[in-house]
Amino acid sequence: MAAPLELVKGTLGLLILRTLELEPRHGVAIADRIEQITRGTFRVKAGSLFPALHRLEQDGAIVGEWILADGRRMKTYRLTAAGRRQLAAGTREWGRVVEAMRLVLEGE
Amino acid sequence: MPFVARARSVWRSWRHGRRLDAELDDELRAYIDLRVARRIAAGEPADAARRAELVAIGSVESIKTGVREVRMGRLLDETVRDVRQAWRGFLRSPSFSLTVLATLAIGVAANTAIFSVAYALLVQPLPFRDPDRLVFVWADQTTEGYPRAPLSGPELRDLDERATAFDGFAAIWATTTSLTGENEPEQLRIGLVTSDYFSLLGAEPLLGRTFRREDETSGPPATILLSAAVWQRRYGSDPGLVGRRIDVNGRPTIVIGVMPVGFRLMMPPDAAVPDDLEAWQLFNQRFTEGPRGQRYLRVVGRMRAEVPVSLAIDDVARVGREISAAHAFYGSAGRQFETVPLHVDAVRNVRLPLLVLSAGVATLLLIACLNVGSLFVARSAARASESAVRVAMGATAGRLLRQHLVEALVVAGAGTTLGVLLGDWGLSLLVRATPESLSRLRAATVNLPVVFVTAGTAIVWMSVLAVLPAALAARQAAASALADDRRYTGGRLRYRLRRALTVAQIALSVVLVVAAFLLVRTVQRVQQIDAGFHAAGILSFRLALPDGRYPTRDHFHAFSRQLQGALASVNGVSAAASISHAPYDHVPNWGGPYLIQEGEDRSRAPQADYRAVSPGAMELLGVRLIEGRWFTEDDDTRHQPVVIVDDRLARRAWPGASAVGRAVAVDPAVTGTPSTWATVVGVVAHVRHRSPVEEIREQVYFSARQAARNPSVYLVRSAADPSSLVGPVRDAIRALDPRLPIYDVRPLQIYVDEARALRAFTATLVGMFAAAALVLAAIGVYGVVAYSVTERRREFGVRVALGASSARVLRLVAGEGGWMVVRGLALGAAGAAIGAYWLRAQLVGVDPWDPITLVTTLVVLLSVSLLACAAPALRALRTDPSEVLREG
Repeated sequence: MAAPLELVKGTLGLLILRTLELEPRHGVAIADRIEQITRGTFRVKAGSLFPALHRLEQDGAIVGEWILADGRRMKTYRLTAAGRRQLAAGTREWGRVVEAMRLVLEGE
Repeated sequence: MPFVARARSVWRSWRHGRRLDAELDDELRAYIDLRVARRIAAGEPADAARRAELVAIGSVESIKTGVREVRMGRLLDETVRDVRQAWRGFLRSPSFSLTVLATLAIGVAANTAIFSVAYALLVQPLPFRDPDRLVFVWADQTTEGYPRAPLSGPELRDLDERATAFDGFAAIWATTTSLTGENEPEQLRIGLVTSDYFSLLGAEPLLGRTFRREDETSGPPATILLSAAVWQRRYGSDPGLVGRRIDVNGRPTIVIGVMPVGFRLMMPPDAAVPDDLEAWQLFNQRFTEGPRGQRYLRVVGRMRAEVPVSLAIDDVARVGREISAAHAFYGSAGRQFETVPLHVDAVRNVRLPLLVLSAGVATLLLIACLNVGSLFVARSAARASESAVRVAMGATAGRLLRQHLVEALVVAGAGTTLGVLLGDWGLSLLVRATPESLSRLRAATVNLPVVFVTAGTAIVWMSVLAVLPAALAARQAAASALADDRRYTGGRLRYRLRRALTVAQIALSVVLVVAAFLLVRTVQRVQQIDAGFHAAGILSFRLALPDGRYPTRDHFHAFSRQLQGALASVNGVSAAASISHAPYDHVPNWGGPYLIQEGEDRSRAPQADYRAVSPGAMELLGVRLIEGRWFTEDDDTRHQPVVIVDDRLARRAWPGASAVGRAVAVDPAVTGTPSTWATVVGVVAHVRHRSPVEEIREQVYFSARQAARNPSVYLVRSAADPSSLVGPVRDAIRALDPRLPIYDVRPLQIYVDEARALRAFTATLVGMFAAAALVLAAIGVYGVVAYSVTERRREFGVRVALGASSARVLRLVAGEGGWMVVRGLALGAAGAAIGAYWLRAQLVGVDPWDPITLVTTLVVLLSVSLLACAAPALRALRTDPSEVLREG
């Protein structure tokens, strides 16, 4: 397993939205999930996770609720309709970025 | 989302914001706890797990800061964007912005100025220690026409000895004295006080000290306390003056101290103690022994701590009853004392005019805000499509609402700032134009509480009125605005709102205009009242003869006669004379009871004002002689005492009979016992010399050659401008006695003008507010009607195309304006009726429900409104049917 990478600026929000697409999660679970999907490439620290979560919450993309999870009260976030739209738009955008980067870097 | 629900959610999220910090703590704690729990589950020891986790997470505080920055940054970002957008919007429509700004600035400026005055006079505590514990004690002689009479020396002593609810009583009496010595001789207005006067008030000197008991003397006063004004003017602010001797009334006197700049006594105007006394000296040690009937003391008491006013009032009243019983002097009528808190009394005379003005400006501010609100509604209509686009692009209703609010706040902020600056300037003008009777107003400055209240009012109104149309916009479906013509998107609703705002404006304007008319008519009436004398063309000045050089009455009379002759022969002077008081001046009144029969009950005798007039004085003043004769030079000390009385006294004393030749007992030395029997030689028409409005008391005129007063007022009449006589008159006096101080040199008319000034002042200001209100109301009517004509262009076009006559179209437009005007006028008339009732105490000779005033007001407002409709109506007439129909 390669060493963890720095997150590309502005992508953490999109990653968070993605982890919430299937089910609501709390902060620990979101960080775990990102680490797990990226096979340890991205390791999300609390110092970036919480500001990102709150920015998304303020934008109305996610909503936090206090519920019981893992045997304790945790603030758990779920995706809103606006969040879903933002995720779709972000995914499309990201696809275009990746495609563009690939064209530049792999083209002759 | 309906507006209410939206507002509720905005409110919730705001409160949420306040809770967030606590919640963030919980969230982080839960996060850490969970991670620690996992480490423990993986086999790590509990404390090591926690330590490791805390190291891994880094500083909790910096995480919280990060979250806070996100939250604040977002809000700040959006606010900055809103402000910038609002600013750009205003720059795009300068006429709108300027109108709004000017309207608000006028409203706020007027409020700032007037409320500063009201604050200074009605709210600001008096500049004394614990002013709440200070009271005035008056003698109530209402039955004798003197409701707020002064007390005598023995009565002051009685209060000191018998009252139990007080720390003490102090007294003052205003008089004059002359300063001689180093510079020009000068006459000073001084207060004679008891030695505890300043310590009782709790007033501190600027230099030196105030009086002490040891300063009291059995002879003439040996010490003097100066005002800052005299200290600066005459002694060049010399810091070494305290302790030095100066010449006061011909005697060396030690200066013990100087009072600070702006020290004022705050005595009510009818106490005859001017606010701007120039120095203070002590009463003679034995003054409390003086005649019980010699009433001249204005008494201030300090209640003991924790004593309620009601108890103090009872306490003083009890003393009054006790001394009435103890002294046969008071006869069957007895003596009643009245106690009033200093603060209440100090503003008694100006309270109502000030409240009238405050109500006037508050109304004006409301009108200004309504006007601006109406402009905002119109603007929101013009921007309906813009809003709709923004909603469609994903702006939430809350976001739009906030943008409107920010716009309102930006304009309210700019308007109020401008208004406060303008108000500060206005206040300085106001202060300069202030009549004497409102002299305390001169201390008024714009202060923070006033600015907060005024700006706060404007900002709250602006916010409500700006958000209202936005809320309406939110109610309208965004989609319909985009799809359809903007005429149908909330147009009717906005229009109705604007009409309502305009109706309110018209109504409030009616109230203000009616009030202004009533006050202006009062001023006219007061000017028409025949005062019984004519002041025009007369120069007056005061002159005091020092006791030292004019020791006996004969010296005094001889000099007066000589001076009168010298003045009369000054080139340009047609007549000269002297009198004890100028009309409406601040010299303590002179008066007392009179009897018409030997052995009458003195305690129930009617009271009269006394004046001493030289031969020729009443003729010079244009007083009307009803019967008998004027005084002559023969009415002097070698002859029997004679008096002239006014017609009111003559009617009361000898109804239906001639007064000439009758005897009347008077009390020119003010001992409380009318024992000087004089013969009535003439009856004159009552002279309103103390109030231009009321006939206060009956009058007895003494011959100045028999009962003179020092100082006295000299009058010279001239066909030319009286002020051109000042130089020659001074020369004539100097020729007789070069060391005589003369002062208060001014045309007699000034006294008259000053007496009317407070009313004229109030009327002028309210008139200005009313004029401003009229203009604003006209703008309001114009705006609404013009807007509606633009809206209905198609309809007019069709009507014109179908052959509607010009008259018919005009009627339609007029109907548009008429709807508002009629409702506004009806509401306004009702409001004015209430307002006028409240105003009635300010009115003289005018009925509060004066029909002429009301009708005039309605006609004026109707004309102004119709004028405001004219331009849009002409535009409607010129509608070209083909053009409009093509547009559709």
